[in-house]
Amino acid sequence: MPLIRCPICRRTFDTDYSPAMPFCSERCRQIDLGRWYDEGYSVPVEREDADLAEGWDASEDE
Amino acid sequence: MNDETAPQNPSEDKPKVFTVRPREEYTSVDLEHLSDLEHVRKRPSMYIGDTSTRGLHHLVYEVVDNSIDEAMAGFAKNVWVIVRGDNSVTVEDDGRGIPVDRHEGLTKEMGHEVSTLEGVMTVLKFGGKFNKGVYQTSGGLHGVGVTVVNFLSEWCEVQVSREGHVWQQEYERGMPLGPVQRIGATPKRGTQTTFKPDAQIFSVTKFAYDTLHRRLQELAFLNRGVRIHFEDERTNQKETFYYERGIVEFVEHLNRASDALHNDVIYISGEEEGVGYEIAVQYAAEYTENLHSYVNNISTTEGGTHVSGFRAGLTRTLNNYGKKEGMFKEKGPTPTGEDFREGLTAVISVRVPEPKFEGQTKTKLGNGEVEGIIQSAMNAGLAQHLEENPKTGKAIVQAAITAAEAREAARKARELVREKKGAMGGGGLPGKLRDCTSKDVTKCELYLVEGDSAGGSAEGGRLRETQAILPLRGKIINAYKSREDKVLANEEVRAMIQAIGIGIGEEQDLSKLRYHKIVVMSDADVDGSHIRTLLLCFFYRQMYELIAKGHVYIAQPPLFRVRHKKDVYYVQTEEEMRQQLMDRGLEDAALTTDHGERVEKERMARLCRTLASMEDSLVALERRGISLRIHAERMDLETGRLPVYHVFHGREERWFTTRQQLDEYLKTHEAQEGEAKVADPPGAGETVKPEEAAPPVNGAKAVQVLVTELHEVRSINTGLKELQELGFDIQSLIPQERTGEQTPRYVLVRGESETPLEDLRSLVAAVRAAGEKGLQVTRFKGLGEMNADELRDTTLDPERRTLLKVSMCDVAAADEMFRVLMGDKVEPRREFIEKHALEVKNLDV
Repeated sequence: MPLIRCPICRRTFDTDYSPAMPFCSERCRQIDLGRWYDEGYSVPVEREDADLAEGWDASEDE
Repeated sequence: MNDETAPQNPSEDKPKVFTVRPREEYTSVDLEHLSDLEHVRKRPSMYIGDTSTRGLHHLVYEVVDNSIDEAMAGFAKNVWVIVRGDNSVTVEDDGRGIPVDRHEGLTKEMGHEVSTLEGVMTVLKFGGKFNKGVYQTSGGLHGVGVTVVNFLSEWCEVQVSREGHVWQQEYERGMPLGPVQRIGATPKRGTQTTFKPDAQIFSVTKFAYDTLHRRLQELAFLNRGVRIHFEDERTNQKETFYYERGIVEFVEHLNRASDALHNDVIYISGEEEGVGYEIAVQYAAEYTENLHSYVNNISTTEGGTHVSGFRAGLTRTLNNYGKKEGMFKEKGPTPTGEDFREGLTAVISVRVPEPKFEGQTKTKLGNGEVEGIIQSAMNAGLAQHLEENPKTGKAIVQAAITAAEAREAARKARELVREKKGAMGGGGLPGKLRDCTSKDVTKCELYLVEGDSAGGSAEGGRLRETQAILPLRGKIINAYKSREDKVLANEEVRAMIQAIGIGIGEEQDLSKLRYHKIVVMSDADVDGSHIRTLLLCFFYRQMYELIAKGHVYIAQPPLFRVRHKKDVYYVQTEEEMRQQLMDRGLEDAALTTDHGERVEKERMARLCRTLASMEDSLVALERRGISLRIHAERMDLETGRLPVYHVFHGREERWFTTRQQLDEYLKTHEAQEGEAKVADPPGAGETVKPEEAAPPVNGAKAVQVLVTELHEVRSINTGLKELQELGFDIQSLIPQERTGEQTPRYVLVRGESETPLEDLRSLVAAVRAAGEKGLQVTRFKGLGEMNADELRDTTLDPERRTLLKVSMCDVAAADEMFRVLMGDKVEPRREFIEKHALEVKNLDV
């Protein structure tokens, strides 16, 4: 009977009783799916320089 | 009918005696009344709905309604309802008492002496006919009410206490057993009616406690300030209902088991054109609407004009508020009236002088004028409440937006099901999928490949029989100002669902899984890890079973390609690459110092390892704005250790090397100044403001003590100790002023080549650079930089690749991370990314 938070409504619920893991309800799952379809979920695009801050310049040594 | 009903105890000492004449003396009016009685008993349903449970309880309500009217008119404070052991019921109030004197009109009409009391009890529509206007508005079917109760009772007794006396009359099946009599003196006043429903009429004669309880409590809610005492003598249950705040408490009661979205109950009341109204509203975290509407205390389950006015006002006001506050996103769905009713708990109670009831069960208010009155009341009252309680307003509108989103999502889901059914004929596989040939799903694998050209390489390098490739392209969108985001395009989401085959959500069917391994393959950089997080999150949320049963994997493409003469090999991680270069660079390497010392072999290796392990910590220290040169001056000369704790006490600045020293300092100051200044010294190296951690005791004014723990200094200290063992001190890490000196301070010697060094911190890089000689190291910036063969050799070929199985634990953590990555709030998101940049890079642990 672990309790977790629903990713959509942020309510805490008992995983044993959820019909729509990892959500608290089918409704929250559907909201989530709607957001995927709507391209509502995004991740940031990292700029190259941030990524290679302590860069590896070895490739230029060819 | 009992024709022989004779006057009972026609005692002469009672001043007012009304006799019931034998039937022969009945006037036409009498006959009419008699036919009324017969009519009611023949067709009781016309008056009380039915003759089972509902009608039975209705009898009680009719009598109680009279008492409530008396209370609402300000003449009574208490109503008692007692269910007796024989299923008779007593209803009593402390009102004025029904008048017992001669009723002129009725006496004239009947042609014999009739009191008002007898009229109320035995003449149908008496109240309606003669007493119109006594109460402004009254509940129930008044005037008809008590008469009908009397007519449908086996027996009935009424006692009126007024003007110091008790008056009484008894009836059997509606016929008075005698005249109204004065039976004694009393200081009390009020009316007490006891009746026993007639088993000849009712199929059910037992009262249900819960049913009465519910209605009596409801009446107490609706009629603020009336105290209703309810007692059941059959079971000795007792309860008193009394609500000072009326329907506000009703709403709180209705929401007692739900989480309210806002604590304040919105209350609107007033009177317009003779229509009185009271409205109480509160939203709860529920999906349904819980609306109770009443007209003159009668529950209007079919609604009517008061309810439609309420809804119109609610929708309009909340919509205006949301617009004004800019809460509706351009792209998002706009809430409809239905969305604004989700989670709504409301009680509407109106008092209408001449209500018109419509509908199948006559529980729908038809008075047109009420609609506009309630709507304007809502517009004004609700708008004002939201203005004064913006938190409430935002919570309500936000809930409606979510409801709209859910509705929209459900609609799309239905559409998609339809679409899927339509596409069934064509096999329903996405066009971009490069499927495998094998039909044995346990051997089949689906590679989800992100990256511009990676899809092509993967297609060329795959094992066609068992490996399918689905290229995914992240779509760049502009989110917020000057920030670019990547999303999984709608088509990509659908392509994945189609390719995998098990469906989503409720209809998930793992037996339809088309591949036993779903492999996420993305670039080995931060961007790639973000995409991977996005995909894992999708699977976790929408294909939970897939993760739970362990079908999802992460591919491990290499980060480096190394060419040495004709050999080519691949290195997976940065750490591994560094280690390899170091190992190569250390071959035959030695360090000479300007003191003529030479370090080589095992000692040299140890020196490099120590320096390498210190480097991250030194960078971390410098990032705090503390240079090693300056920090070195704070070194504890006895132990050779650098201070770890930084204390600001007011304006004083202190450094401590050990926790013990810090504690001692803090304790002394506490003792000296008698102030509680410091709570727990920091545990996890966080900066702790004591006044936050523990409020000062005795109201002593807090002197700010700020303790910072520099945890990186611990590893620096460990490194310094090792350096000492190797014969170097902290100064060896710091560039020195060496004007005029000719010989370099340190020299890295490796065979013929010599590299001069300013300080030892540059040694590791120099060794690695030396180790790179003769190698061609290429860092792959993305999967696309690998050709088909390379990709097969390193990442696709089951014989040579490494796959990481995704566990439920990993993915739940990924989901949490995803939530932050995704977060609407830009700040926490940036902080998070900075903080976790390293972990993100190495998520594939």
